[in-house]
Parts: sequence; C-alpha cells; structure tokens
Amino acid sequence: MKRSSSVHPAGKPNMEESWQTIAEFAVPSEPGNERRAMEMVAGAVKGLGVPDSRFENLKTAVAEASLNAMEHGNQYNAELEVSIRVSSTPRMLSIQITDSGGDPAFMQEPGTPDLDAKLAGLQSPRGWGIFLIKNMVDEIRFNVDETHHTIELIMHLDENPSAPREG
Amino acid sequence: MAKANVTMDVRKISDQVSVIDIQGEINGFAENTLMDAYTQANAGKTQTIILNFTGLDYMNSSGIGLLVTLLIRANRLKQQLFAYGLNDHYRQIFDLTRLNEAIRVFADEREALAAAEKVLS
Repeated sequence: MKRSSSVHPAGKPNMEESWQTIAEFAVPSEPGNERRAMEMVAGAVKGLGVPDSRFENLKTAVAEASLNAMEHGNQYNAELEVSIRVSSTPRMLSIQITDSGGDPAFMQEPGTPDLDAKLAGLQSPRGWGIFLIKNMVDEIRFNVDETHHTIELIMHLDENPSAPREG
Repeated sequence: MAKANVTMDVRKISDQVSVIDIQGEINGFAENTLMDAYTQANAGKTQTIILNFTGLDYMNSSGIGLLVTLLIRANRLKQQLFAYGLNDHYRQIFDLTRLNEAIRVFADEREALAAAEKVLS
C-alpha cells in the first residue's frame, strides 16, 4: 500500500483544503474481491474520524462500487485490476475506484429501483448497486475516459457538514 | 472463482412455519443455497418463512436481488416472509430498499413466531 501526499486528482473539490492521499492499492477483478477492497479501505480510513454511524455505510458503498468495477468494468477478468485511491482533507474523504472500462452503461445514472415494480416483474430483481451507493455517501462523481471509468465516493467527516464550525 | 460462503439450515417449527438460519454471506453466489433452503422450508403447508439473519456476515446488492426473487416466489404461493436478527446497518438497507414493507422485521425469533401464530389464528 503506497502512502503519499498529493493534490486531489479530480482537482475540483480542492478550493480551500489540500487533499492528502492516504492509501492506494489494486485488487484483481475476481468474484468476491469487493470484500477485500472494502476491508482495505476500512483499514486505511480508521482514525480519520469517520463517524461510527457512517463507517458501515462507507464500507457498503466501497464494496458496491468495487463490485460494479470488477463485474461490469473489467468483466471479471482477473488480469485486470481495480485500483483504489483513498484521499482526505480534515473535512472530507474521497475514495476513487477505477476500472479498465468495459460496459459504460453501469456508470450512467440509473432510475430508482422500485420494489413494487420488481415484485410485479416489471424490473429486474437486481439493480440496487448504484442506488445503495448514492444513499451511503454524501456525493458520487463519475469520470469516464477512453480507457478507464472512475467512480468517486465523497463523504463528509462531520456528522453535520452544514453546522457552523468552531474556530 | 469464488464460491458461496454461506450455510442455511432449515427448521420446521410447525407444518405452517419454517425458519431459515443464515450463516455467512448473501451475495450472488448464495443463489443456489438460498433457493434450496426455500424449497426445503416450503415443504408441507408452509405459510410463513422466517429468515434468521443473526449470523449474517455480509450482504451486497446481488444478495438483495436474491431476496427480491425469494419474495416473488413466496408471493406466488401467498406465503409471508418474516425476518429477525438484522443489525442496524442492514435494517437501514431494508428501510432504504423498502424490503421492510414486504418482509416484516422483528427483533428476535420469539416475536417473529408470535406474529406467525397470530396470522394463523
């Protein structure tokens, strides 16, 4: 696992604070490895002040994003890795999950899954991944180029980011 | 290739009520295990199947999809699915997905069995 300081790769949310890369690692695209990715991120962010109530949410979002990257992005080709970068500021946490770009459809904003429609056979029983991610973190961003897809998960480290801060 | 990392044991409480004790992970690989357990739980005149999540280690979106598939099958047979043993995180996911509207969630087995008996009476 590499550790280094850097400017946030997206370069956008970096108006007031500089981003520090906490960890970078890669996981082969093999079924079940999303849990490995999840545990690695969980280990990397321990001590960063993620509220207990949101730690499990972050783990679920990372697992779902990694699952999508391995299954849809890399088609479960074990020779292709999913790379993960964990960055933070004192107030925010960013997890970037990048695949080698297979099926771009899963990166698009899907419709909200509807349980009633699924039970009626009008929607597939599956299709909960992006919905879960969106509900587990504060913001998600997609970045697609010719060879890679990246999903970025943003979580505020404050319990209530809109509350006035001391100092 | 990863394999299912889950076991599901079925207990017949009565002719109408079965409990499936889930231990491990509910993901895409759990499909055969879950459907086999459902078939076993479904023997006789089963009206209520109770899913015991006390031993749940991990569930992902594919696993949620499997629960929806299970619900579709149970609905066809006019059976009810109950659940207990979910931790706070998975209760939150049941709320978000509205699974808790289709699968009644209880704190423990005693409460779930009492509700099942009430349905039968």
